[in-house]
Amino acid sequence: MSCHLTVEKLVTLNERYHPFSDLTKDLSDLTDYPPKFHFSAKDNICALGFQARAGSKILDGYRPPFDATVVRKMREADGILIGKTNMDEFGFGTFCTNSAFGVPLNPHDVERSCGGSSGGAAAIAALLEKHVSLAESTGGSISCPASFCGVIGFTPTYGRVSRYGLIDYANSLDKIGLIVRAPSDLRRFLPIISGPDKKDPTSCVQPRLELDGFKVKSVAVPEEALRNLDPAVLQAFEAALGKLKEQGIEAHRVSMPSLGFALAAYYVLATSEASTNLARYKGMLFGVRGGHIDQSFNDYFSEVRSANFGKEAKRRVLLGTYTRMVGFRDRYYLKALAVRQLIIKEYQGLMERDDAVLTPTMPFIAPRFTEIAKMKPLEVYQADFLTVPPNLTGMPHISLPCGYHDGMPIGMQFVAPHWEERRLLDVADRWCGEFKIRFPGAIA
Amino acid sequence: MMIGLEVHVQLPTRSKLFCSCSTSAEEPNSSICPTCLGFPGSRPSLNRRALEMGVEIARFLDCKIPEEVWFSRKTYFYPDLPKNFQITQYDSALGTDGCFIVNDKSIGIWRAHLEEDPGRIKRVGKSGEEVSLIDYNRSGIPLVEIVTAPDLSSPEEARTFLQELLVELRHIIGTTAGDEQSVRVDANISMDGERVEVKNIQGLRNLEKALKFEASRQFKMHEAGMKVVRETRRYDEERKVTMSSREKETEEDYGYIGEPDLGTFSVGAMARSMSTAETPLRRAQRMAGHYALDFGKMRQIVLTSMPLADLFELLAQRVEPEIALAWTLGPISANWSALLSRLDDQVKEDLASIVVLIANREITDSEARRRIGALASGECPSDLSCAVEDGLLDSIISTYIDEHPQVVKDYASNPKSANSVIGHVMKVAKGKYNSQEVVEAVKKEIEKRN
Repeated sequence: MSCHLTVEKLVTLNERYHPFSDLTKDLSDLTDYPPKFHFSAKDNICALGFQARAGSKILDGYRPPFDATVVRKMREADGILIGKTNMDEFGFGTFCTNSAFGVPLNPHDVERSCGGSSGGAAAIAALLEKHVSLAESTGGSISCPASFCGVIGFTPTYGRVSRYGLIDYANSLDKIGLIVRAPSDLRRFLPIISGPDKKDPTSCVQPRLELDGFKVKSVAVPEEALRNLDPAVLQAFEAALGKLKEQGIEAHRVSMPSLGFALAAYYVLATSEASTNLARYKGMLFGVRGGHIDQSFNDYFSEVRSANFGKEAKRRVLLGTYTRMVGFRDRYYLKALAVRQLIIKEYQGLMERDDAVLTPTMPFIAPRFTEIAKMKPLEVYQADFLTVPPNLTGMPHISLPCGYHDGMPIGMQFVAPHWEERRLLDVADRWCGEFKIRFPGAIA
Repeated sequence: MMIGLEVHVQLPTRSKLFCSCSTSAEEPNSSICPTCLGFPGSRPSLNRRALEMGVEIARFLDCKIPEEVWFSRKTYFYPDLPKNFQITQYDSALGTDGCFIVNDKSIGIWRAHLEEDPGRIKRVGKSGEEVSLIDYNRSGIPLVEIVTAPDLSSPEEARTFLQELLVELRHIIGTTAGDEQSVRVDANISMDGERVEVKNIQGLRNLEKALKFEASRQFKMHEAGMKVVRETRRYDEERKVTMSSREKETEEDYGYIGEPDLGTFSVGAMARSMSTAETPLRRAQRMAGHYALDFGKMRQIVLTSMPLADLFELLAQRVEPEIALAWTLGPISANWSALLSRLDDQVKEDLASIVVLIANREITDSEARRRIGALASGECPSDLSCAVEDGLLDSIISTYIDEHPQVVKDYASNPKSANSVIGHVMKVAKGKYNSQEVVEAVKKEIEKRN
């Protein structure tokens, strides 16, 4: 019941789990009559009345002068924005540990990560009843935290939802989507946020969003996706395949060799684009200002960027700048573009026979922060090997909770052909009709 | 000497290339929005009119036009560039491999592409205490960059090239004198060996001056046995010299990648659907060939105005082209602005009939001038036609002779007595008839009475 949500409750939740990086101070608009609903937006989605910092110190204090199209649409549909959710800086991370504004804690176990980069969005969806989180995925930033927090993460087809007002990570990969608690929320909110928007030309080529009319009969399960998994994840996934079969969804074991190239192609493309997107942060027109304006321009912006970008942001800017350089551009950037086409073709090939492709979402359950601290950057990148491929193709996908281990949720991820979101809604409805999602006890 | 130019022409669109901000704003930073300021979350959407203008230019330059084009990000850090990358075209262009003919010489056009302009930096304050002010009104203004082959062989030719190009662009896309002043050129010039790039030259006159200075500088270095180094220089308009801008001597690495927010645009179909209007200088070339007249004179006509060229071609159908030319460049041009303001089909016909009369020697030059002047000032065309009524001349003569019978008597012994009649007619008719016509008519009348 929305009337039970108070600012005090949100503040208490935030003190315990840090899902928010900016929080409303007034919930008086959240009325039962007329009925309003509450939603949150990932901190890289611009909204009037809130800071938009995308997890970065360099945008501290930045209040955008406009609403992102998705925020405007949610508000027009009687939504009340209650806060901006915490995230890895500019989306650069898998565990939501790269935020300049605190680390959100997993509602199932506060010693563990929420996943990233939409960590706060997944955490608050797990914690708050009747809440819908606007999240965003570039390489798995919706599926991963949804899986770790045991909620439903829905990533629509690239171009389905306007990106106007989304602070860019990698424009050719970024997709705004939803993290929710029930399939019915998807059916309600997906039509609201979808549709062409002339402020984002890439949203203007979409066919109409269909919610019904497709019954999934079989899924392709790539062998390559089942290697290097935590045994608990593999076990839960195999059990889920059995239950799906009972629901009339046959699993076909297939080989998908291109899965092995997706990660490399993704990091080349994503960092190439990211390094140009981050060029605009120079301490001049928005965000933080440097202290010494009497320096040369080069010294000035270098000082601002050095002081305010986090370690992972710097790493990705360097990587992306390198892959764009003359001499390396052909070897990395252009090759990665070619690999991306190869992977799209391979998915399309599989989906000629099967209605969707199914894999686990993450290779392990949400890790403890102590474990994350020991991981090398490359090991962290490796953790995305199942969420990156569909993101690279722009195909819609959904992460659904499919089991638990040590009280921690495990997720599975369905991928459908471009614009076929309805297939994902079909499996979500059928799966959640029988599978009981466990929500951690919220604060009374 | 080899000179190649990169010409940046501002397209006269009403709004900017990627947002709806106006392109005409006076007050600094008054025509700006999140998109042209590069605010996080903003994104570009392409101005179709700018794309059309660009394609029209590429077509005019006889470029090969691809089916599809896309945009790229050119990344470099500069205070006037809000996003620190410029949206331009790199591995895609509106057109490639074209040419433009100047003084019968074909100048190769390597490519023409569309891009956004950065903001404008203004340095103010005393030396040593200078501050830079940035005006972002210009940020996002659409530009077409035209890159020539190094086919130009002198500063004068480079200037002529640009001048003639601007004439044609004025006609094709409606650029104005103001846009032409804002044209910016990067010029590559090489005397013999390394090429030097002189960047950011503004306007026609500066182009020739900068190139002349740079040519003589390179020549002097050559004479002195010094090596010209490959470098980027800039032209100082005040001191009229080029100076090294101390940039890296290697090609700057802009790390181009595709612009993912814009997608691809079909320009092949767009180009095929465009109609070809004859541009002024191409028309002048055609007219010079067709009427066997001097190109310079034809150029003068088309540059005065295309309707003047229309009128010339109308006259040239009725009378000898030389006569049409003389009257077009003479009395008609002299009254052109007034004539143009009332130029309808009737006025054109009136002008044509005046020139036909003069060609047939039916009226005098001064009468023709008077009539053209009258047309220009909007006098009733019927006043003009009543003056050429048949029999009027004869009646003036016979009336005078009736009153002065002595003339006829004197004529037998002294033919000069006819002069008094001729003088009278010329005075009364105020130059409506040519003198030879009057002389003959007077002689005829006197001899009839003898």
